[in-house]
Amino acid sequence: MKLAWRLLLLACAVWLCAPLLAAQQAARAPWTPRSIEAAGSLIVQEGGRLKPLSTLANFTLLRLSGRRSYTDAQGVRRGAVEFLLDVLYFPKQAAEAPVFLVNDSALLQTLELELPGKQKRDRYSFHELEPGLPRLFALAHDYGALDPKQRSSVQGELVLLAERVDAFLRLNRQESIALIPPDDGGSGEQAQTWLSPAFAFAALSRGETPSAARQRVFAALDAMANTRHEPRVFEARLEQLHEVLGGFAAVREASGSVELERFYYRINALGWSLGSFTIAFLVAAVGWIRPAWHWLHRSCVALCACGTLALVLAIVLRCLIRARPPVSTLYETVLFITAVGVIVALGLEWFNRQRLAASVAAFAGMLGLFIANGYETLDAKDTMPSLVAVLDTNFWLATHVTAITIGYSAGLLAALLGSVYVIAKALRLARVGPEQFRALGGMLYGVLCFGLIFSIVGTILGGIWANESWGRFWGWDPKENGALLIVISQLAILHGRLGGFLREAGVAVAAAAGGCVVAFSWWGVNLLGVGLHSYGFTSGIQSALSSYYGLQGGVVLLGLWAIRRDRRAARAVLAGPASGAAEPPRGRRAA
Amino acid sequence: MHALWQRVASLAGSLGLSCSLLLLLGLLTWLGTLEQARSGLYEVQRKYFESFVLLHDLGPVSLPLPGANLVLSLLALNLIVGGMLRIAKRRSTVGVMIVHAGILLMLAAGFAKWRFSSDGQITLYEGQRAAHFEDPYRYELSIVEHRESGERLEYRVPQETLVPPRGAERVRLRGEGLPFVVEVAGYARNARVQRKGPRFEVAVPVLEGLFLQQLEPELAAERNIAGAYLKLLGTGSDEPPQAIVWGAQAQPWSFRSAGRSFSFDLRRERHAMPFAIELDDFAKLDHPGTALPASFTSDVTVHAAGSESALRISMNEPLRRDGLVVYQASWGPQGAGANARLFSTFAVVRNPADQWPLYSCIVITLGMLLHFGRKLRTALRLQAALR
Repeated sequence: MKLAWRLLLLACAVWLCAPLLAAQQAARAPWTPRSIEAAGSLIVQEGGRLKPLSTLANFTLLRLSGRRSYTDAQGVRRGAVEFLLDVLYFPKQAAEAPVFLVNDSALLQTLELELPGKQKRDRYSFHELEPGLPRLFALAHDYGALDPKQRSSVQGELVLLAERVDAFLRLNRQESIALIPPDDGGSGEQAQTWLSPAFAFAALSRGETPSAARQRVFAALDAMANTRHEPRVFEARLEQLHEVLGGFAAVREASGSVELERFYYRINALGWSLGSFTIAFLVAAVGWIRPAWHWLHRSCVALCACGTLALVLAIVLRCLIRARPPVSTLYETVLFITAVGVIVALGLEWFNRQRLAASVAAFAGMLGLFIANGYETLDAKDTMPSLVAVLDTNFWLATHVTAITIGYSAGLLAALLGSVYVIAKALRLARVGPEQFRALGGMLYGVLCFGLIFSIVGTILGGIWANESWGRFWGWDPKENGALLIVISQLAILHGRLGGFLREAGVAVAAAAGGCVVAFSWWGVNLLGVGLHSYGFTSGIQSALSSYYGLQGGVVLLGLWAIRRDRRAARAVLAGPASGAAEPPRGRRAA
Repeated sequence: MHALWQRVASLAGSLGLSCSLLLLLGLLTWLGTLEQARSGLYEVQRKYFESFVLLHDLGPVSLPLPGANLVLSLLALNLIVGGMLRIAKRRSTVGVMIVHAGILLMLAAGFAKWRFSSDGQITLYEGQRAAHFEDPYRYELSIVEHRESGERLEYRVPQETLVPPRGAERVRLRGEGLPFVVEVAGYARNARVQRKGPRFEVAVPVLEGLFLQQLEPELAAERNIAGAYLKLLGTGSDEPPQAIVWGAQAQPWSFRSAGRSFSFDLRRERHAMPFAIELDDFAKLDHPGTALPASFTSDVTVHAAGSESALRISMNEPLRRDGLVVYQASWGPQGAGANARLFSTFAVVRNPADQWPLYSCIVITLGMLLHFGRKLRTALRLQAALR
């Protein structure tokens, strides 16, 4: 028996050293599609949750290179799972893959690397970076101790590159792939924790005796390592590993949600949705140039409906996969806000059929999904992560978070409608007549009222949640203040309208400014780095946010100028012989 | 006179005032939010949101602004006069009045919380028990006479009394029954006790080789540790007894005078509870394979007069009893290893308006649904007629 153990230990050692041995191999056969599929559907534990290996591979490659695929030395485009298999079984080839994104080539000078022929922002292979690694890690150690806000861009980039290289090396050492399930019938934390091959091997080295089931997993992994040069045999061994893993209760329990996650990423509903909204927007743009072509408008609405359906499908699938309400992370707020925005805009289109709301829906859908895509790429982390204890409550996520997010959505939609109004008014667009302006004004008022309901209810529900969790209803936390600012801005606009201080154009200008308030509450307060909601910080967001503030500020100034110009023109008309075209005098409106 | 009153009422209930106050509140909220990155939440809360006037620092100049207390009080007045009393009483305004009533209830809840609530924390290791909670932001000086009969006679001096008035350097405390006068000097909101080295001089007294080093207040005000010098006058000794009292001292300072024994303790302000809580078991569960907390649970025994009950307090599931609410707030020490002994921290709140925000939320929602539902119905009818 002892001999058997030693043999197993040796086998595992061989399997773990397989990458090193494989490094001697100059070339390898490509992975078969079935191998890629089977490897991608293996279940792993990462970040406290179970997910398909393909998800781990995709986000790892995204973190390394800012993309989910790469082009190898032969010019062949390869996916994330292939890359991961290469890292595990053919690290020499993986080391040649240009997957390490460097945004500023000045970093290479810091690392004393000379790599001609590269652009300022380019991707490098591990092999290319290897001579600079000791310096990279030494400097990253120093710069990592600095406050992120105090780092220069090159220092920040250097720390980021060190993290990327470390992730690659951890993958290569098989530390981050926890695919060995816990034994059936266990209890406590161990019964929940999956092991990576590296940690399992460490346990073996310490003399711990694995269960018979885990021994079968080791044997299957060993067989895979031994047959990596024979694609068909490797494929069969991978199937055997699936069979062995299927014997664990933990795998059987998780397989439903993991398969659903595979389905979610495979159908790429968000990609289809983005495509639909983008085409819808282009169609809408042509429709404004050729208003007589009514089929363009109908196509725009149909494309928006398709995009919305795909987006809603994606949100529903995410809810089913994680058994959670639609919004629990910053990324999900983007999806949900976009979905609510386009649904409300399409509702407005159905209501008044002026083509304006459909165009706004197409633009909002396209913009929202671009932002979601951009944030996912920048953040490069699992978008369905485990939640900290206080957030892990479906009741409050379903009520407060959903309500406040709908409030954000309505505020941003109002800002968009207000901006359209202002730009059309300022530029005196011939296609937008008095009827369209009235319709826009009506829509704007409706959206503001709709948003106010959800903003107020969502904000108060947030306070009630805080009271339930921490014993205080209101703590003047930046995120709470942001929500309050939205409520205050919407109340001020509606009361200003009611009091006659803001007329139609004034409401539009104020709503456009309100977009900045929503953006500050949604993203801005998270970047302050204080309070309970200081999460989701990603470099690049600050500049995007500043651009949005600048853009909306420009719209507001344009709007104020247009109001002043039109008022002067109205006065001139009143002073002249033919009066009658002026706006009605200011006065209190009916409640 | 009547006309003047009419004008005042008209102004107090005007929409112009509503808009101005809302914009002012928005400005205060925005400035207070940005200021938190520099001054910390506690300071900002006191300066911007619990004040009547303030000076906002704009670099070379200071901008005087009304504090949130003043703005919210005026807003409540504006709401009552304009939104409840003077508003046209029609079917179309019923929803608006309901919303305004809900907002008034919310403002009343805020006022009740500000004026009548107290809150603090209890930190317990397993097996420990507490019948009081501590305010994390405020300190008090506790002077206890330990009588031979075992009786304890306690004098508690609140933080405000320990701080010398402007222009003064020290405070003298006299208590009925105390055989001495306590002089408090150099009270510091945040201080550390340091050993005096041979190579530097300090401007404060050095007692038994130690001195009190005054520090800048922390951004997170709960991290401040107060300290002060105490001197007992009138004890009859040539050299009045002196000591440093510090918030993080392990033991209170003890002093015997004429056969009577006293102890002096500068500690976080304590509030007695009508029951005691004993921590039986604390469990912190992480998401598997991570250090991300999935749940904290404290099994406690509540000891009240003549009764004991075992209960569980966990995140989002507090204990409500005798006007107090006890929440699972935190745990520690941070970064503790797998087998380290952990403590559980509870937040305790006594708030007479605990559930008022919930009631106001219901009232406001009903009012808004009524008002905006009515508006939507009118708009839909109008649109249908236009088609």
